Amino acid sequence: VFPGVRQAQWLTKTKLVEGLPPAVQGIVDNPALGLQELEERAKHVVSHARLWDTAEVAPRREKYCPVLFENLIHICRLMSGKYPSLSKRMLARDCRIAATWERESILLQVRGLSGILMNSVSPIPPVASQEEILATREHVLETFYPIAPTIDLQEVNVYQELNDTGQCFRDGYPYSHPHTLFFLESANVRTDRFRPEQLRAKMLMFAFGNALAKAKALHGNDPKVLEQPVVVQSIGTDGQLFQFMVFQLNTTDLVSNDGVKNLVWIDSDQNLYERAQCVPEVKKRVVTKPAGISGFQPDTFKKFLALYLHGTV
Amino acid sequence: MAALGAWRLLRPGRRWFSETVAGAPSPPRGPLYPPVVASITAKSKAAKSRRLQRFNERVQAAATVEEKLRLYGKLQRPKYTVYPQTFALNADRWYRSFTRTVLVPGMPPRGAAAKPPVAVAAAGATLEAGRAPEPGAQAPAVEAPGDAVAPGAAAGELPHVDIGELRSLACDALLQESFYQKKKRPFLYRDQDHTPGPFLTQLVSTLAASLSGHNPLLAASSLDLSPEVNYYWHHGEEAVVHGHRKGRVDPVRFQIDDNPHLQIRVPKQLPEVVPLESDLGDVPVIDHKPSKLPLFKKQYENKVFIGSKVADPCCYGHTQFHLLPDKLKRERFIRERLEDQIEVVYRSNGIASLFAWTAAQAMYQGFWSEADVTRPFVSQAVVTDGKYFAFFCYQLNTLALNAETIKSNPRKNICWGTDSKPLYDVVEDGNVKGFNDEVLLHLVHFLLNRPKEL
Repeated sequence: VFPGVRQAQWLTKTKLVEGLPPAVQGIVDNPALGLQELEERAKHVVSHARLWDTAEVAPRREKYCPVLFENLIHICRLMSGKYPSLSKRMLARDCRIAATWERESILLQVRGLSGILMNSVSPIPPVASQEEILATREHVLETFYPIAPTIDLQEVNVYQELNDTGQCFRDGYPYSHPHTLFFLESANVRTDRFRPEQLRAKMLMFAFGNALAKAKALHGNDPKVLEQPVVVQSIGTDGQLFQFMVFQLNTTDLVSNDGVKNLVWIDSDQNLYERAQCVPEVKKRVVTKPAGISGFQPDTFKKFLALYLHGTV
Repeated sequence: MAALGAWRLLRPGRRWFSETVAGAPSPPRGPLYPPVVASITAKSKAAKSRRLQRFNERVQAAATVEEKLRLYGKLQRPKYTVYPQTFALNADRWYRSFTRTVLVPGMPPRGAAAKPPVAVAAAGATLEAGRAPEPGAQAPAVEAPGDAVAPGAAAGELPHVDIGELRSLACDALLQESFYQKKKRPFLYRDQDHTPGPFLTQLVSTLAASLSGHNPLLAASSLDLSPEVNYYWHHGEEAVVHGHRKGRVDPVRFQIDDNPHLQIRVPKQLPEVVPLESDLGDVPVIDHKPSKLPLFKKQYENKVFIGSKVADPCCYGHTQFHLLPDKLKRERFIRERLEDQIEVVYRSNGIASLFAWTAAQAMYQGFWSEADVTRPFVSQAVVTDGKYFAFFCYQLNTLALNAETIKSNPRKNICWGTDSKPLYDVVEDGNVKGFNDEVLLHLVHFLLNRPKEL
């Protein structure tokens, strides 16, 4: 009906900021990290996922999307040779998330498989400064009168208000802070995949759910403004287009429309490469498109790596 | 009249019916007639060998490796499918005879000397610290104790590697998969996908990442999850049993289609363990037909694939990780009173998978059964069922296993393998009990393996 992110913003009481936060941008621009040499490896990795991985002519999206993700994570993980504290991360697949909250007398909840979750031992430090958080008080949430904000949401009788990422992990788990969520749209048929806008909304809702569950586990169930905001990142892709998101939960007081709001930084529709040609396209005996990856954008990979390194570097 | 005409013919005058110039010596010419060789299309042994020779020349003269592989596997005929993970009894003897492999128990020499030098290198470090106090002489001083333990040179890095750190990583991976993460019940007969599979993936990826600082080869490596490895070859001869080709002598064709759980591919080759022509044992000779194993014939595409196409720069193999399925779990063998077959399962998996992988790597470099390898191809594998680990190292010395080429071929492939040992005893209440450091050390050695110049 209308862009999903706006609806998700109202439901989670969030203010949107375009682009990545300055802390992450600083990691991207930091020359000491040696991101230039990794460009070559990133290009190889993209070629491997899109061109070389299969004995057939061209791999399908169900195959190349997860393979591309695994290869990118492998390059990021290899950085732990340089930064040993990076090894304090653990990937968990098929995590189920459950979080409930009230929003102007409507009870909402997020449930379901939240993609691939990367946990770390230590939390990400807050990205926005104290002034920015207080400044969100003035921000007014967009309403969609006369459309009810819960349009297109499934109404369900909830018998048990479940509220933990402990739904996924038991107590005493050392890697207790959710760091980044990864969403892979790898269905072969285009109609089974989420469109970029819907993918961003899904990322926002699940990041919010994880952050809320973590905040309730740390500070209890009472709604209040958090002194230590909880930060959860999120990356979504369909194999070519990447969406980056950093979400900061500032308050669990979600019933009213005023007061401190949560913040989200979104960098949307970043192409990693223009096209991947498995067989050269020949028109009238002239090669119009040679085989290989064309239009590789190293910045997208740098942002991916920066989001991975955020919190330890 | 006739004599006068003949006299004129005999005189060396202008010869108008021949084209030679008088006085010039005739240039040395090749044979006047084309070589007398067997026919190409006749139904005779000579014709068959001529056809085979033309095919060999055609494959040898192929311009690219892809073209060579395409011509090599162009003719499709029924072939035996060899499964690396099999419940067949004594399969490893049969597989060794198919692939001309010698099995040497234990690990190759550089690995065998690695266990004692953990203490020796530590002693060497203190020696060197006492002998050369100034930092400038530290570098040459390290070489001296290093030379004393020359076979264990790769283990010289071990004091730098924090085993406690790696042990905690391994325990964390194990605990996350088996204890902390709440999962649904495993699907029927899919226990291996529930816990040991994810545990192996986590363990290898975190260990490889943390060891990449010590091993620059790992830093340039490529990690594949559930790749495909295929190899097609001929070995021995048989007569066709029935059909319109009955009675003709055909090579025995084999195909391995393998799916390791995880594999690490690198851009540089691992160093050779022993020289190319070494003879470390005997290859078992089995008089029966392969179908007695049991092995069954099928006709389909002849694939040769290492996990990615020829264009990939990471074209050499480093380590494969295999997960045994539920069908081959230990309890089943113990229940059927076949305890000695447990090790056979690990060995046959190691030999078959590694032969397929190294041979496919060699074919990617342009070698094949008529053009044998000029340098040995080495790869490693770890076969596990989640708790018990067995380590294998394979050196491919020869690809020439055809009936004609094997007659004059003295080389044999070599496989070193250990028995399966448990990594831990049991996981209870968030604790791993009975963690075995030896197995972890072995795994670390495998991952740290690299060419000498790096």
